[in-house]
Amino acid sequence: MVARSLRHVVLALIVFIWVVPFVALVTTSLRSETASKTSGFWTAFTPTELGHRFSTHEKGAAEKLTVMTGNIFERLNKDDPSFPVTGEVNSILFKGRVPDPENPDKTKLIRKLVPAGEVMDVRGGDFVFQENGDFTWTFPEETAPKPKKLDAFIDQDPVFGSDAYVEVLFDNKNVPNALISSFIVTIPATIIPITIAAFAAYAFAWMSFPGRDWLFVIVVSLMVVPTQLAFLPVLQGFSGIASWATQLNQWLTDCEVNDTCQVASKSFAGLWITHTAFGLPLAIYLLRNYIVGLPKELLQSARIDGANHLQIFTKLIVPLSVPALASFSIFQFLWVWNDLIVALYIGPNNAEDLVFPIRLQKQLGTFKDQLHLLNASAVISMIVPVIVFLSMQRYFIRGLLAGSVKGG
Amino acid sequence: MAINFKTLGAAAVASFTLAGVASADVCDTPSKLGDLGRFDGEVITIAGSMEGKDEEMLTNTVSCFEKATGAVVKYSGSRDFAALIVADLRSNNAPNIAIFPQPGLAGDMAKEGHLVPLGQASADWMAANYGAGQSWVDLGTYADADGNKNFYGFAFKMDLKSLVWYSPEQFEDNGYEIPSTMEELIALSDQMVADGNTPWCIGVESGNATGWTATDWMEDLMLRTTSPENYDRWVSNDLPFNSPEVLNAMEVYGQFSRNDDYVAGGASSVATTFFGDAPKGLFSSPASCMMHRQASFIPAFFPKKGEEVANGEADFFYFPPYASIDLGNPVLGAGTLWTMTKDSPATRAFFEYMKEASAHEAWMSQGTFLTAHKGADLNAYATPALRKQGEILSNATTFRFDASDLMPGAIGAGAFWSEMTAFANGQDAKTTADNIQAAWDAIK
Repeated sequence: MVARSLRHVVLALIVFIWVVPFVALVTTSLRSETASKTSGFWTAFTPTELGHRFSTHEKGAAEKLTVMTGNIFERLNKDDPSFPVTGEVNSILFKGRVPDPENPDKTKLIRKLVPAGEVMDVRGGDFVFQENGDFTWTFPEETAPKPKKLDAFIDQDPVFGSDAYVEVLFDNKNVPNALISSFIVTIPATIIPITIAAFAAYAFAWMSFPGRDWLFVIVVSLMVVPTQLAFLPVLQGFSGIASWATQLNQWLTDCEVNDTCQVASKSFAGLWITHTAFGLPLAIYLLRNYIVGLPKELLQSARIDGANHLQIFTKLIVPLSVPALASFSIFQFLWVWNDLIVALYIGPNNAEDLVFPIRLQKQLGTFKDQLHLLNASAVISMIVPVIVFLSMQRYFIRGLLAGSVKGG
Repeated sequence: MAINFKTLGAAAVASFTLAGVASADVCDTPSKLGDLGRFDGEVITIAGSMEGKDEEMLTNTVSCFEKATGAVVKYSGSRDFAALIVADLRSNNAPNIAIFPQPGLAGDMAKEGHLVPLGQASADWMAANYGAGQSWVDLGTYADADGNKNFYGFAFKMDLKSLVWYSPEQFEDNGYEIPSTMEELIALSDQMVADGNTPWCIGVESGNATGWTATDWMEDLMLRTTSPENYDRWVSNDLPFNSPEVLNAMEVYGQFSRNDDYVAGGASSVATTFFGDAPKGLFSSPASCMMHRQASFIPAFFPKKGEEVANGEADFFYFPPYASIDLGNPVLGAGTLWTMTKDSPATRAFFEYMKEASAHEAWMSQGTFLTAHKGADLNAYATPALRKQGEILSNATTFRFDASDLMPGAIGAGAFWSEMTAFANGQDAKTTADNIQAAWDAIK
């Protein structure tokens, strides 16, 4: 009983740890740029005190007058209507030099928070504001005051908006393009290795040929080769193939090099091949261990009924291996979808063909500060793997156990 | 099917782009473009590290070349340029043009034989037509695989580093004056501390380039504490890193950056503050600092992406020299180097295009671009602020390039960065200098 509730507590804790960043991401993506930059996401749900700078009026807009009135919220919201600043004005930070009482020749800088209703001296006039943002600025004689910027501390009401999503999806942020590119890369890079691996796994499990065990050991040991190690030789290979293809193209179509017949060595196909090559060892290993555990009698009776290897594979093995196939698809899909480094080195590098992780990295870009846009894009990029996972997750646990528990 | 959708998507995005740029034709420059020849449909690929706004301006500028010649220019920018270009060059995947932000790496690539010389004619042209021309030629001249010196790097798009950014409004509120000497600057900083303000925002974090901001400070202070000749000897390591001159500059930098009263967030925050976030303290509410020393590109990182400079919320002054040390008005700067990595007639025409005043003016009109091209019309600068920077450049009595860019990659983009970060984290000046010198000795 105790052990069980302890287990639940630990589980709840793990879920909590994983959910917090997600909530933070979604919350931040729905907040305004200033709010997300100046305060934590957890402050988004309750009124929070934030500092805002406002100017009393437009430059050159004031005519000669003795009393100027206005509203702080109107001044703040004139440019950014989608995330309006609302709430109560707590105080205004007053700064200015006054004669130093202890040292008559010098002046002293004083700073204090002036609450609503209290008079302060701004550019020679009396400045008073109310909690609702109304202010009056009274001058002893007629003047045309220069605009003054003041820091107001406002209890900001919670405000959310989908501006960041609109911006990344529709305002030339290349996110829709990146989504499509990512699908172009990910779908073949999942299907190709799993198809090859299924055939190979069947061969390793149920066909006997000389050197089978040694070959399998080699395939399994290839799992430890890191992708990063192979970038240069792989790229060299692709550039060799590309220049060969360019020459062939030239010979066939009579076009000039550097013109349209140039075959790019960094392409989607290169990514498919690379992801396939580096995904295969694990795929073969996983599927072989699953397939080898299928009941021997089933296959033997199929043989007696006259089925050949291909028929056994398509009619028996594939339908029975769906859990293993599905769980490996999830693995491979997530790995390719989230891959940055292979796409960076091997994938196409023209702006419209960049995959999502590169696009996200570029959004960090030269300007690391567009946090709200980055978060919105990150949420969009997360939706796809979440859908894939949820739609296949019932196979996932069974597939994870593949190989470890005989008979799956 | 997927491909069709993709093309549709690209077309939609392209139309958005056009709508954004159509407001001003950057190719309509004061100087006229000469004849560059026709290269219809020929593709020129360019790789570089510029992203975001810079990438946009680059694309706009090269579009003028595309219009004039019919060639197609494809630019790919990545923050990981330094790593990617090495892999691309070594695996025969060279783009036509690589834009190196650091001469050190360009020199390494020239030594491996991956760069195509631009020829003596181009070097002569640059010496004659760029302000301080010979120093720009030297910056782009490296030894090839056989040890022969050739001109490879065409400097285009320069940065001015000796600037201090501030908010005029804050200075007005507090009654501060712009200092014209280093002594006044230090007195002003002390005054700010006495008033309860924090004078400086300093941040050196920059991913795998963390520390470069600190090296800029060091270089600016070297130019203000010792002679330009010593600076040159320091760059070539004839003057060791742990010599008294260099140590002195580091100590002076320490007086700014390791002083809890001077730095917003305290000295310990220097190493962990992103360099692009540091200047935001000038504009936060309430302001967390009063001044920020950084190169001419930094307004792009201001909260309104540089609009502050145009509307008077931000301004800059020249990082002043000491009145007590007579060294004139030294200025520190840098520039990106455009190198040919794969030869083609269209690529050669592109390098001819970069000699045209019109190419410089096209970028000048878009902002954050400084040039040493003497033929470029100063009126083409997008803002008075850029013009003012151009004037600082021309009033300089001494001009020196960013030392860390000139040092070998292992130092200028390695030990110097990392040790200055360690210095920010509390390592003493002597150990820092000794470590960098040891790293330099190791590669000799």
